[in-house]
Amino acid sequence: MFETTPVQQPVQPPRQSLAGRAYLVRAGVSLGAVVLLVGVIALAAAKGETHIPLGTVFQTIANHLWQAGYDVDPIDAGIIWNYRISRAMVAAACGASLALSGAVLQALLRNSLADPYLLGISAGASTGAVSVAILGFGAGMVSLSLGAFVGALVAFGFVALLAIPAGRGAGAIILAGVAGSQLFNALTSFIVTKAATADEARGVMFWLLGNLSGVRWPDVNLALPVAVIGLLVCLWYSRALDAFTFGVESAASLGVPVRRVYVVLIAIAASMTAVMVSIVGAIGFVGLVIPHAARFFVGTRHGFLLPASALIGAVFLVAADIVSRIILDGQVLPIGVITALIGAPAFAIILCHGRVLR
Amino acid sequence: MINHDKRVLAVGVFAAGLISSVSFASATEYPLSIENCGTVLQFDAAPDRVVSLGQSTTEILYSLGLADKVKGTGVWFGPVMDEFKDVNASVPRLADNDPGFETVVGQKPQLVATQYQWHVGPKGTVGTTEQFNELSIPVYTAPADCVGKDNAGGGDGVRHEGFTMDLIYREISDLAQIFDVEDRGDALIASLKERQESSLERVTASGHDNVSAVFWFSSPEINSDPYVAGKNGAAGYIAGKLGVRNIIDSNEEWPTVGWETIARANPDIIVIGKMGRRRFPADDWQVKMDFLKTDPVASQMKAVRNGNIVVMDAQSMDPTIRLINGIETLAEAVERLSASN
Repeated sequence: MFETTPVQQPVQPPRQSLAGRAYLVRAGVSLGAVVLLVGVIALAAAKGETHIPLGTVFQTIANHLWQAGYDVDPIDAGIIWNYRISRAMVAAACGASLALSGAVLQALLRNSLADPYLLGISAGASTGAVSVAILGFGAGMVSLSLGAFVGALVAFGFVALLAIPAGRGAGAIILAGVAGSQLFNALTSFIVTKAATADEARGVMFWLLGNLSGVRWPDVNLALPVAVIGLLVCLWYSRALDAFTFGVESAASLGVPVRRVYVVLIAIAASMTAVMVSIVGAIGFVGLVIPHAARFFVGTRHGFLLPASALIGAVFLVAADIVSRIILDGQVLPIGVITALIGAPAFAIILCHGRVLR
Repeated sequence: MINHDKRVLAVGVFAAGLISSVSFASATEYPLSIENCGTVLQFDAAPDRVVSLGQSTTEILYSLGLADKVKGTGVWFGPVMDEFKDVNASVPRLADNDPGFETVVGQKPQLVATQYQWHVGPKGTVGTTEQFNELSIPVYTAPADCVGKDNAGGGDGVRHEGFTMDLIYREISDLAQIFDVEDRGDALIASLKERQESSLERVTASGHDNVSAVFWFSSPEINSDPYVAGKNGAAGYIAGKLGVRNIIDSNEEWPTVGWETIARANPDIIVIGKMGRRRFPADDWQVKMDFLKTDPVASQMKAVRNGNIVVMDAQSMDPTIRLINGIETLAEAVERLSASN
């Protein structure tokens, strides 16, 4: 089996005397993150392209949650409830799913550079979206989202098929992912170069960089269950993931059904990512970096790491979306730009303080 | 307005001088030098062969009765104007979008007329101006795409000075001069101006008061931020000419603006683009109409509740000869709105 360098070393189990305190710290961090998530979603409801007074925001939320019956302008109410809150919920679900997928893949493949797009999903999604928008597949009946979703699944299928004869191990999967991504990126470039005008290319690329502007409640109904189910399934396997940290052989010797865990978790990570990419585009950085940040806060035990990654990812993406809407007046930046702009320096700080990791 | 009037006056004086000094009306004297987009074009005689890239430029050439000189067309956005259906059928269509450089050159044109620098210009996708000039083929660029407009950033470009119909009139008179059909050019311009004036009179007579509008071209995804007309483009001109306030205040030709911003600006009239293009579902005007009626926020806008949604040919919202149709369409809508108030 091809072995990539495991940067992520298994951490010594905490000494017994410290275990209780560490548990309290983790519980505190988790509780804080939940409070933070609710707070940041409320903030997202209050901040936007236009100014809506805070009172109106609370009245609208009260009207919807408790039938409070305040007299609110229907346009303001619609903007807060149907545009901003649905958008924040999807951002949260998306951030959680990407961070979760990243954490799972990093453990499974024992590679700290693994991220959800490693499996060719973002490359496939862009090929799918470009086929719809530029080649005109579906003759205007198929949305960019559906095109991206199908593209993502096709690319993932390709990567999976390539990984099986290549040895099925972590190295094989990573290499197959690289090959698949390159292939689908090349296809995208080919289509864009051959058939697109500048406008078309710009429109699609903007969307691919991550764009939450079209998000509505139906998207929440899709994204939220996917994120929650994904989290539950991953949590179910958290002990197995702990075992994987010590290598596949050790995991197998500990009685972990290696093959099944691989298949189930990679499929879960891929489907979560494909759904999120099809709703909002390929938002980078979250899936790679948030798990590392989470590890810094709660350590490497997956029972803590997975929910912490999901929560931090959710908070981070909602916050990034708020910034993307208010940083330029009257213009919305692609959220992928913000995640990288805020995320990179934040990650650098964590890295420098994060000697703990080694 | 002052500038506009002065220019009309100047053209009039110039035309009068021409008529009095030359016995036959408005014949072009060759060699002819014409200033165009920062360069000077030289013609020893009226060209016999022209390749036209850009539907509006092509339709202007047809309107000037020059179809027999057009040896190839490209960059189409929709069906040709009805009155030119037969004429157009006899002209080779090199490509629906961008023809290749050699395909254009293969028609042995003595002139390439382009509507957008995007296609032929400093970084043209069909070819650069320089490439054509090396083969002694002059390139005429529609003034609407270079006067007061910066195309360096790619895409639709940014307009620093407002578009005015004078830029289309200038294209008509330039082409008329190059092809020695100035009388036809003058007549065409006069008829367009007359239509614009009568629309303006109708709107003034309707006594409308501070009407606002938004021009929605399309959207990459139906729910996502739409492409709407900026203040300086053709649609902005239509609105300004009729005293209608465009709620979008951007220098970009077609900026994307969130529905949140549009809904809160709550315009009296929503103009939606109708086009042959089917790149995005929202290219279809009926999809746009459905969105306006079903979206929880957009459906609350007064234009939707009062039924003031206007379907407009998308090419009439761009700097083309069809812009006059757009003025007429919006004028009707303002008249209806004022009548219902």
